[in-house]
Amino acid sequence: MNQLTLAIRQEAARVLGKDIVDMVIGFEAGALPLKAQPAFITQKEEAEKLVYNGFCQNNLAAYLARRPKEERIGIICRGCESRAVRAMVIEHQHDRDKLYLIGVPCTGIIDWRKIERQVGENTLQAVEEGDEVIVTTRDGEYRFQRADVLHDSCKRCLHPNPVGADIVLGDPLPEGDPEQAWAPVLEFEALPPEERYAYFVQEAERCIRCYACREACPMCYCTECFVDCTTPRWAESMITPSGTQAWHIIRAFHQTGRCVSCGACERACPMDIKMTYLVDKLNYDMVQQYRFEVGASDEAQPPFAAFTLDDRNRFVR
Amino acid sequence: MYKVLSKADLPRLIEKWMAQATVYAPLRQGDFTKFAPLNDPAQADLYYAANTRYPPKALFLPQSEVMFRAKDGEFESTEDEVSSRVILGIHSCDTRALQLLDGVFWAGDYQDPYWAKKRGQTTLVVLGCANPCATCFCTSVGSGPFDKRGADVMLIDIGDEYVADVRNEKGQALFDHLPDASQEQTDTSRQVQAAAAAKMEKPFESEGIEDKLYSLFDNDFWPKIQQSCLGCGVCTFLCPTCHCFDIVDEAQRSERVRNWDTCMFRIYSQEASGHNPRPTNTERTRQRIMHKYAYFVELYDEIGCTGCGRCVRYCPVDLDIRQIIRSAQAWEES
Amino acid sequence: MNDTWTPRIVVFQCQYSLYSEADQKWMDTQLPPHIKLIQVPCTGRISPLFVLNAIQGGTDGVLISGCLPEKCHFKEGNLGARRQLDEFRRFLTYLGMGEERMRFAWIDLSERGRIRQELADLEETIRATGPIKRLVTRAIPIGEQP
Repeated sequence: MNQLTLAIRQEAARVLGKDIVDMVIGFEAGALPLKAQPAFITQKEEAEKLVYNGFCQNNLAAYLARRPKEERIGIICRGCESRAVRAMVIEHQHDRDKLYLIGVPCTGIIDWRKIERQVGENTLQAVEEGDEVIVTTRDGEYRFQRADVLHDSCKRCLHPNPVGADIVLGDPLPEGDPEQAWAPVLEFEALPPEERYAYFVQEAERCIRCYACREACPMCYCTECFVDCTTPRWAESMITPSGTQAWHIIRAFHQTGRCVSCGACERACPMDIKMTYLVDKLNYDMVQQYRFEVGASDEAQPPFAAFTLDDRNRFVR
Repeated sequence: MYKVLSKADLPRLIEKWMAQATVYAPLRQGDFTKFAPLNDPAQADLYYAANTRYPPKALFLPQSEVMFRAKDGEFESTEDEVSSRVILGIHSCDTRALQLLDGVFWAGDYQDPYWAKKRGQTTLVVLGCANPCATCFCTSVGSGPFDKRGADVMLIDIGDEYVADVRNEKGQALFDHLPDASQEQTDTSRQVQAAAAAKMEKPFESEGIEDKLYSLFDNDFWPKIQQSCLGCGVCTFLCPTCHCFDIVDEAQRSERVRNWDTCMFRIYSQEASGHNPRPTNTERTRQRIMHKYAYFVELYDEIGCTGCGRCVRYCPVDLDIRQIIRSAQAWEES
Repeated sequence: MNDTWTPRIVVFQCQYSLYSEADQKWMDTQLPPHIKLIQVPCTGRISPLFVLNAIQGGTDGVLISGCLPEKCHFKEGNLGARRQLDEFRRFLTYLGMGEERMRFAWIDLSERGRIRQELADLEETIRATGPIKRLVTRAIPIGEQP
């Protein structure tokens, strides 16, 4: 068992025992070997079941919107989760005083798809050992370098260290490289327009409108989503290019300046649809246009809310 | 009737079928497979993935199905927009699911013409599972990797050949001209089937599950197990037995369409008044589990789940219905 | 693809846009049939959904016309709109739409004839570029619906 799991259990038990929080949200052992399950514990004795490892693939901040507002919640926060919490607090979705952030610097999430692509669908066991991931299937044992099987969003992660946490467990990690992080956006942009559109069509085509991407996203907390509007029908629920493309375009756009680039959307998608290339472009533009990065400050409003008269010289008349 | 087909001869057989019908088989799409019409027998990929992600129920109840059109002010039905089809490589769980859905769509006084016509014009050549996945649990819900119910032909992989268990006239039309399987081949096929079922673990006992779930209806059990559920539609859309739909009049297309709907969305049961009889995820999760393992049993005397395992594999938060049923069975009032 | 084809253009105009009376009268009564005018109380009302809806329906060019930054009737509506819609144009371009298909005109009362000039410029550009092909996904395009 790794040190961080131990530290998390101790801290969770402490804050529950001392009645600092009503609930701690973390992870416990998964049903499937390459995953972990989100855990919701209310008694300090339950802290024993918490785990922390590279198979913890959900953004726990997505659960805050689902809990009662009066509840005091302790939450395990990696870099992206803590930035999402910050963004939600700025958007008045939560009372920061009711949250206790247990910060954990993150070495990235292991993408089970990358592993299954190589070893097939019958993983029996998976463990991390240092920089390796050891996977046992019916055919035997396979070893992977962690770096090779990280989720793509984690490979590009700029901010693995939690921000605004009440306590940080574990040692800080080096920040990511912006050039490497934004490179895929620039590469995509350099393609001719027909190719960009063709890629978008090809990805969107597989969509089955299950909205797992929306539900997994901490920033998608609207009680009424635009996609359910029937008057007017912005995105028909039929499986058609019209409805599906509108879904992807607008969901991404509603994340502008709010998305923390965690990749939970891609990990949630049952059809393996790529979508971070959409929000990454929007986040990149917010850096370029407004020098804004979500989660960098605990006060700065996202750009679309922070318009000023100084904009007058920014846009073409 | 048992016929034998060498694997090398399968493409030629498919081509023969293609002269009379559209042949569907799993086709490779990225990291997974999906049932699609073949242009070329070589496209069929029966073994790349243990099963398709997207369920073949879509071939009978499409995710978006036009029910009728208004063309120049005239009503135009779409019921007869069906053609002869062969579906090759569907597994027992999905075939059994179609049979369960027949109870909903194709039985009794009210028959769904869209479903009925497609079912009538389709032949199912089922590929049984010699190597069931770790996430498969068909044997726990009264089925098995070589469950023949609903199959027109069941193929049993015995190595270089398939033994084809031809179940009816529809199957005969496709396999009649092939040689009969030898006694040895038939014996091997029986061994393969027995071995496959024996390999499978039973993650829960389904005996009495219906009554147990009813007894837990108002229990603390449901608020507890639903906590991590995101309320998306992955489990219901990938499920081969889920069949709820929503009918929409799409005015700007001049079409009436039905689309898959999911009880996991809040708006599924939301009424125009604003009242929602399933206001929180607790009620919705309870409904989902009980529909499969209690209400369906009450209506049709069968568990409404065939153990295909897609919900287990693709749930974004790793919820496992096997764990849920096992917990329910073990739940004691404390 | 030139004389036989007329581009479809949609103008989203803030109803308080300070056009001269003559220009506003022209907009209200003399717009050619291939240009559709949609008036909104403020450009702040213009959601990217409106623009996407127009594009998906086969609109070849979209013009968004509103007031100068200091002159918004509702004080700040146009400021929010500018940031959002500016980024939306960038985003649609990233997905393959021609950048020239979406244009902004922030106009003052004193700029007589500017709105007509903007429309003429937009139309000329669109005619040179051709009808929109990408992102057009509506079953029945705008203009052909009953």
